[in-house]
Amino acid sequence: MTKQQYVTIKGTKDGLVLRLDDKCAYSDMIAELRRKVEEDGLEGLAEVQVHTGSRYCNEEELREIMNTIHDSPNLRVSKIQSDVITMEECNRKVLENQSETYVGIVRSGQVVQAVGDLVVIGDVNPNGRVVAAGSIYVLGRLKGIAHAGSSGNAKAVIAASWLEATHLIIADKMETMTDELTILSEQPEMECAYLHPNGFIAIDRLQELRILRPGLSSFKGGS
Amino acid sequence: MGEAIVITSGKGGVGKTTTTANLGTALALQGKKVCLIDTDIGLRNLDVILGLENRIIYDLVDVIEGRCKVQQALVKDKRFEDGLFLLPAAQTTDKNAINPEQMKTLVNELKRDYDYILIDCPAGIEQGFKNAIAGADRAIVVTTPEISAVRDADRIIGLLEQEDIEPPKLIINRIRRHLMTNGDALDVNDITTHLSIDLLGIVLDDESVITSSNKGEPVVMDPANPAALGYRNIARRILGESVPLMSLAAGKPGFFGKLKSIFVR
Repeated sequence: MTKQQYVTIKGTKDGLVLRLDDKCAYSDMIAELRRKVEEDGLEGLAEVQVHTGSRYCNEEELREIMNTIHDSPNLRVSKIQSDVITMEECNRKVLENQSETYVGIVRSGQVVQAVGDLVVIGDVNPNGRVVAAGSIYVLGRLKGIAHAGSSGNAKAVIAASWLEATHLIIADKMETMTDELTILSEQPEMECAYLHPNGFIAIDRLQELRILRPGLSSFKGGS
Repeated sequence: MGEAIVITSGKGGVGKTTTTANLGTALALQGKKVCLIDTDIGLRNLDVILGLENRIIYDLVDVIEGRCKVQQALVKDKRFEDGLFLLPAAQTTDKNAINPEQMKTLVNELKRDYDYILIDCPAGIEQGFKNAIAGADRAIVVTTPEISAVRDADRIIGLLEQEDIEPPKLIINRIRRHLMTNGDALDVNDITTHLSIDLLGIVLDDESVITSSNKGEPVVMDPANPAALGYRNIARRILGESVPLMSLAAGKPGFFGKLKSIFVR
């Protein structure tokens, strides 16, 4: 065969991998993909992973690739992998993974929001609200409202030197700190709140966080 | 060049107007030239407490709208030789009659002629509040030892901190000594820790504050009164003196205590 292959199919231990050439023109690649998918004599339903290499595909193109593959009754795309992302996406990811620090008191009626984690150095007074897509850490008294994992991250936690919040929200689960929850009035010092597997917000000592959420630590090394 | 101080609280009924009247009087007693501005348009009271109600000719809105000069609208308190003046609020319109820019211009004009401009702020956080704080260099937040008043003070402090004025100072008003020493009311320490701003002073609750207001004579004129002492101390602190905070626990003897101690000896 003189012509170079733009689409190669490989079987790996994780299933079929469709590797799409990233040097050729997009139209050539999609034409060959269409041909390959039609001629393939597969039986049953196979899941494929698509690797686009260093080619950046926008959402429309990705949809076209998906639809082309789904034209075959035997193939289902399990995931699409790419070596490249846009600057915009990259910046967003950086923001989501960093923590923002607020120094001062979050007073009644004020809202402090963060795209990633949020560290508050100061108190959060009653009716003050702190919101973060990641976790919330308060070095001070948390006496207001805290919403961690605001974009749905159920692994997010709320930790405070003094946890006396009126409302705790993690992802979409809210807990009001009523009198029935005696744990807080008895021992509010150095506590953390997390979403328990039973679906309710649980409160535990700050020290337990290491075991409850090992993924929180981003620190490498140490002895 | 004088200094403009806004007196605010968020919640109503904690004693903003009483505090303005008494601090203004106390500063005038110390020989300062003071101008009080009532910004509670539509619900004016400061004139009544000072006993100047029936001397009003023009008001704040007349000045802003150019119907008269500032000097024409200022009501002079005859108890002080050119020491205390009041710019009364209008009663027939509402807070939207003026805007922050106009207030700023007015206050800056007055600052040239007076040592202190005290601005009495209306309750709430709306237009009236925005007008009142517009020209101020400093702010005093008044609260009482009640949780509702402290919550509102917290909100107000948050709003003030976003403005271009010095960090606000706190006055805890209407302290009932026995409630506080028994632990039945929030104590001074609780409140200052919660709000975490500097305490300017405390004022004890006293019935004569009400009776003297009704007479149109600020309580601070009576040096023997316990509430008056609080106001006088605050005025001295505003002037830069360092005055120790009056103690509650040990019980400053008070009038009857002193009287008793004379006989018991």
